[in-house]
Amino acid sequence: MYSDYAYLIVGLPVLAFVLTIFLGWHLPKGGGFFTVLATFGGFILSYGIFKEIYPNEILHQSMHWFANFNVGILIDPLALVMLLMVTFVCTLIHTYALGYMDGDHGMARYFAEAGLFTASMLGLIFSDNILQLFIFWELVGLCSYLLIGFWYRKPSAAAAAKKAFLVTRVGDVMFLAAIVLLYNNLASLNLTLPPGEYLLQFKVIYQNVAAIPPDQLTYIALLFFGGAVGKSGQFPLHVWLPDAMEGPTTVSAMIHAATMVTAGVYLVARLFPLFYAAPSALLIVAYVGGFTALFAATMGLTAFDIKRVLAFSTVSQLGYMMLALGAGAVVGAASVGVSIFHLIGHSFLKALLFLCAGSVIHAVNTNDMREMGGVGKYMKYTAMTMAAGGLALAGFPLTTGFFSKDEILVVAWEYGSATTDFIPYILGILGALLTAFYTFRLWFVTFTGEPRSDYHKHESPWIMLGPLMVLAFFALFFGLGAQEPFYHYLESNFEHYDVNFEALAAVGQHHIEEGEAAHEPFIIKILPIIVGVGGILLAILFYYPRFRKLDTRKFTTENDPIRRILLKGYYQHEIYTAWFAETVVYGIALLSNMVDIKIVDATLNKISETTVAFGGSLRKAQTGIIQNYILAIIFGVVVLVVLIKLWLEVSI
Amino acid sequence: MSNEISLMIAIPLIGAVLAFLTRSRGLARIVALLASLAPLIISLQMYMGFDKSSKMMQYVESYDWVPSLGIKYTLGVDGIGMPLVLLSTIVSVLVIVYSWGENHRPNQFFALLLLNEVGVLGVFTALDFFLFYIFWEIVLIPMFFLIGIWGGPRKDYAAIKFFIYTHVASLVMLISIFALYFTYRTPEGLHTMDMLTLLQATSDTTIFPTALLNLIFLGLLLGFLVKMPAFPFHTWLPDAHVEAPTAGSVVLAALLLKMGGYGLFRVIMPMLPSVSDMFVTLLAVIGVISIVYGGFMALAQKDIKKLVAYSSVSHMGYVTLGAVALTTMSVQGAMFQQFSHGLITCVLFMSAGTIQHTVGTRIIADLGGLADRMPRFAFLMLAGFLASLGLPGMSGFVAEFLVLTGSYATMPYYVLFVIFAGIAVTAGYHLWAVQKVMFGPILKKYLDVHDAHSYELLSMSLLILLVILFGVQPGLITDMMGVAAQQLIYDPVMTLSQMGVI
Repeated sequence: MYSDYAYLIVGLPVLAFVLTIFLGWHLPKGGGFFTVLATFGGFILSYGIFKEIYPNEILHQSMHWFANFNVGILIDPLALVMLLMVTFVCTLIHTYALGYMDGDHGMARYFAEAGLFTASMLGLIFSDNILQLFIFWELVGLCSYLLIGFWYRKPSAAAAAKKAFLVTRVGDVMFLAAIVLLYNNLASLNLTLPPGEYLLQFKVIYQNVAAIPPDQLTYIALLFFGGAVGKSGQFPLHVWLPDAMEGPTTVSAMIHAATMVTAGVYLVARLFPLFYAAPSALLIVAYVGGFTALFAATMGLTAFDIKRVLAFSTVSQLGYMMLALGAGAVVGAASVGVSIFHLIGHSFLKALLFLCAGSVIHAVNTNDMREMGGVGKYMKYTAMTMAAGGLALAGFPLTTGFFSKDEILVVAWEYGSATTDFIPYILGILGALLTAFYTFRLWFVTFTGEPRSDYHKHESPWIMLGPLMVLAFFALFFGLGAQEPFYHYLESNFEHYDVNFEALAAVGQHHIEEGEAAHEPFIIKILPIIVGVGGILLAILFYYPRFRKLDTRKFTTENDPIRRILLKGYYQHEIYTAWFAETVVYGIALLSNMVDIKIVDATLNKISETTVAFGGSLRKAQTGIIQNYILAIIFGVVVLVVLIKLWLEVSI
Repeated sequence: MSNEISLMIAIPLIGAVLAFLTRSRGLARIVALLASLAPLIISLQMYMGFDKSSKMMQYVESYDWVPSLGIKYTLGVDGIGMPLVLLSTIVSVLVIVYSWGENHRPNQFFALLLLNEVGVLGVFTALDFFLFYIFWEIVLIPMFFLIGIWGGPRKDYAAIKFFIYTHVASLVMLISIFALYFTYRTPEGLHTMDMLTLLQATSDTTIFPTALLNLIFLGLLLGFLVKMPAFPFHTWLPDAHVEAPTAGSVVLAALLLKMGGYGLFRVIMPMLPSVSDMFVTLLAVIGVISIVYGGFMALAQKDIKKLVAYSSVSHMGYVTLGAVALTTMSVQGAMFQQFSHGLITCVLFMSAGTIQHTVGTRIIADLGGLADRMPRFAFLMLAGFLASLGLPGMSGFVAEFLVLTGSYATMPYYVLFVIFAGIAVTAGYHLWAVQKVMFGPILKKYLDVHDAHSYELLSMSLLILLVILFGVQPGLITDMMGVAAQQLIYDPVMTLSQMGVI
């Protein structure tokens, strides 16, 4: 029976959006409980559907929309685990926001936009065709724009919101181009579809990708990946994500954990058969992912803003998810399970870390870690839960992050051993070391030592701590309990559509390995543990006052060029905003403006001037003297008579 | 014979006379509202009764007018005209609501708005070239006076430029119409101004040799491209918009520009197969340049109204591109773009107008933080700008998506160029303008600014609701456009008597 109400998964948060925006202003806490209840209702529905269709069925409903397009709901294993995660994590974040946003006079607007944000993400997940997914994808972008700019009176918030929208828009342009290409390629196959099936439905795409010319497939896949790069903050379009910290911390938690950045990974996972069939597309996915994983981690080393460190870590972890998908070139559709498992584990721990950071900021009233120190003494629960999140992020053995990241490194290694290209694997290992290090740098600098400024020393209210505890539990133990059934469930995802991966592999020029994959040597098995624990130990030696043995000042100075480059984020702001946006794009605009005034409009004015001048010179003929006119008339008559005579003679 | 269309045109005409004769503002605006509501109701009824799957002209009326010259009074709508009739009646009502507070010569102001409605409704329904041309020229008059009397500081220059530019183009078009008229003779040996008969005849090379038809085509094309306006004939538009009063800008962008697009579908497309192939390329290039160039131009503007004006150039480029790409989907998209842009641009020009008269300036650099004092208005303006930048869920996205996807089949490189060079820039100038005007800290000089008037907010919110309605349920209007597009591309022109409607 839950399946009949699947549309309510999106419907309820939309309803909450409408209720809060119109009634929230008159209700306590801005009517935030509407949003919380609606999201929780979505979770109940998702769970009910899970109970009904697990493990062998999928849910598909579809109806005609307009022209050749449909709207529909598709809940298969991939969508279902995402729905469960998003509704669950968002319920906790919204609950937390009831406490965190208390007293802000824009609370109703906050909960309205948060409800719409959740609805858009859920709609994106259960879309049964790529156009509908794109529509919700854009709505997710819109909501992030509204929420990042929530405190719109702050110029930096308004600028960050615009930047987020525009940078992801660059990705969206590629996404749109991909849809246009895909549609036309599918249309030119002249398929005869049974009634109720439409060209852009995933099922139709999965079954027909092999017939599309391989070079077109590569373009399409890379353009889709461009969209994912924008949304999921992969290099080089990750620049909006650290700035997105301008919104309330709960917004950062939503964007980073559940609702926005995961969309890009989900898109690639959703279109995995297409990527698999496209020659060299997955290779690029793996490289971009691996590079981003390390690149973002380096910037996490030097940031002082507690939320920025977490933001860079999100970028880096999303790189791992992409890396896992890219390794699918060798391990096939199993990589989808590996990647999505990390996505879900990461969403628990990242939501946790952001909410903990929010709890600290709520008390301390600054984002700057240099002004914190010793916070753990006053905020025991926050410190403990954040430590749990940190351990999970660092991949400490037996936490969720350990299982999920370990598996990614394993598939990266398999990818390396099959293709003798170990670069993604090496990038991943280095990134893991840095991850552990910067995570605990953050934790020690914030929670241990002596207070470095005069801040409010109190713990957050229970409405905020409750969600932290729940999330901490999942960040620690989800991986231990769920890993095996999860992989099995997701491996079955594409079986529902009869996707012929062997045919796709032939198009995509992949070698399918025969039999069991080679066993990785012992060192490869324990390397993730070594780098994870090693990174934590290193952080202890640098930053935990009680065991401090090393001093950062011995290794780097204020003017160290590497440090400056990292602090400046590799000067990307200077390149993108100052050079590209303001010089190149705006320059073209000014040039067009000059052309418009000096050439297009000036030509017109020249024509009209000439006409007026011509008229002016004709006017001189109008002398007003009768004799002149008579003379002219006689002259005219003579000419006419002569002409008529001539014409008559010629024609006879 | 039905008489809905005549009634729909006559009521605002009578209303215009009555409004002109009224002495008080209160009476004038009530007359205007009633005289514009009646056509809206009639057009809604027509829409309900419209057979969406039929390729025939519907609600046809035909009477002899000047039989000796072959001129008839023929009106009718099909999938091309019906949506635009609906658009005209909707916009006319809402622009009168928006102008509720007009107090400079209100009786004349409302009379001119009604007269404008008469003209555009006539253009979208006339099926006789003579009648079509009369309505086409009628439209110039109210707009000329709206700019000339209620306009800004350079209103004289703008009004004259608008009038002469579009009038010269219309005259060229008239010459082409005469050429059609004098070249063709009916089997009875008579001349006719009947639009469909003449268009059908253009496919006969024994009557219209290609060289002659090319010239005729060029003349008609010029008339329509100037009206749209398409690059490089667009320079009258920003001047006219900047000087026009808000209501004038709204009807100018929402309705008058659509006359050019309507001409493309009604007159140009049926002739395309018979003229030189070069014209398709020419039009595609013009469409693409209009889109991209218009976008960059908008980015360079300092006046928010000029920015919106150039965004119209950019958006109307999709109409040209979609029309000449000649696939069902692209033509359908182009028609829907006309309808959708008509609604969206109203919100944009109303926003610019409201900013102008609450704050006193439209220079983007001088504005800032208005959302603080005008939250409701800020919400609607943001919604309008998002619709204009092509946010899914709103009608503009559907239209542009259809044009791009449909056009790719026949002109892939043009489409890719538009996508990569145009779309991000479009998002850029919209967001940049909204951010500068609305967000950030409120400037000290604007601390005592108050929110927009309720009638302004009312008409803007109704428009936004429509934009969302047609974004979520485009089938309401695209179905009939699809039928019309199919017919335009694959079927020869049918005359009214072949259709059996007269």
